[in-house]
Amino acid sequence: MDQWNTKLDQLFAKYKDAVPDPDPSVNFMPGLWRKIEARQSFTTRIKKLTQVFVVATAAVCLLLGMAVVVPGSLHPELRGTYVDVLAEDHPPDNLAALGIRVEPVEANTK
Amino acid sequence: MLVEFEQIQKAQAGDDAAFNQVVTAYRKRILGTIARLIGRPEDVEDVGQEVFLRLYYSLDQLRTPEVFEPWLYRLTVNASYDYLRKQRRRNESRMSDLSEQQVMMADAVAGGKVSGEEQRQKQVKELVDSLLGAVSEQDRILLTLKEVEGLSIKELEKIYSVNENALKVRLFRARQRVLNAFEASQGNTVRPAERKD
Repeated sequence: MDQWNTKLDQLFAKYKDAVPDPDPSVNFMPGLWRKIEARQSFTTRIKKLTQVFVVATAAVCLLLGMAVVVPGSLHPELRGTYVDVLAEDHPPDNLAALGIRVEPVEANTK
Repeated sequence: MLVEFEQIQKAQAGDDAAFNQVVTAYRKRILGTIARLIGRPEDVEDVGQEVFLRLYYSLDQLRTPEVFEPWLYRLTVNASYDYLRKQRRRNESRMSDLSEQQVMMADAVAGGKVSGEEQRQKQVKELVDSLLGAVSEQDRILLTLKEVEGLSIKELEKIYSVNENALKVRLFRARQRVLNAFEASQGNTVRPAERKD
């Protein structure tokens, strides 16, 4: 077993000689900087897109917030409930003409 | 250390000229290590560039310049491991794929241009590559760093951030597997050490 271990050590030593440190080509540094810049521009693009998305989201939130806080400021027709809108469109006079009798609502007092 | 600590600190601060000097100082050594780790000369520069690209974008995470070298080796190990893993997947789909170097060597042999020494080196390289194929990519890298690159257990501890005993056990098992493969291969072929042209 020791004999095989020694032979394997020798083989590994020969392997280092068989595969020496290669000289880098002239394109090594330019290629590296191209890759660095490509990743930089990609990262910058992603950052810009993220910023635009955040600003747009903030603007939409602000608009929706204003629409809720100032009711009717953007869409006055949306004021009131569906029943209120129906009552406005069909006053009691018109209903009487259609044969519908509208009784006044009694106050629920004791 | 092949560069001054000051140089690394400057590179950390974003000085591109200092970074260039660090790369220039280490690239030959790193390319050599990668060449022996991956075994495909035509892809060595690509993997080397990937190592220095990772270095550029993670240099600010290095706390002390003293651990720069183990840290650079860790980046080398990770990039080589990623390459070997991708390569294995590619090889599974294309079994007949020959590296550019192998094709060139085959052409040269056919043309009678290869010297006896080159032929011997090629045999050693092929034998070691096939023996290292007996272990996983991780063990191949670990074994190459220890046995071929000559790194000590202490240095490997810093690179892998694991304790000495775990490393020794892993190295022992990997070496045993390679040793068994070596014995088996020598039973079938003429030993390269004894081969004469």
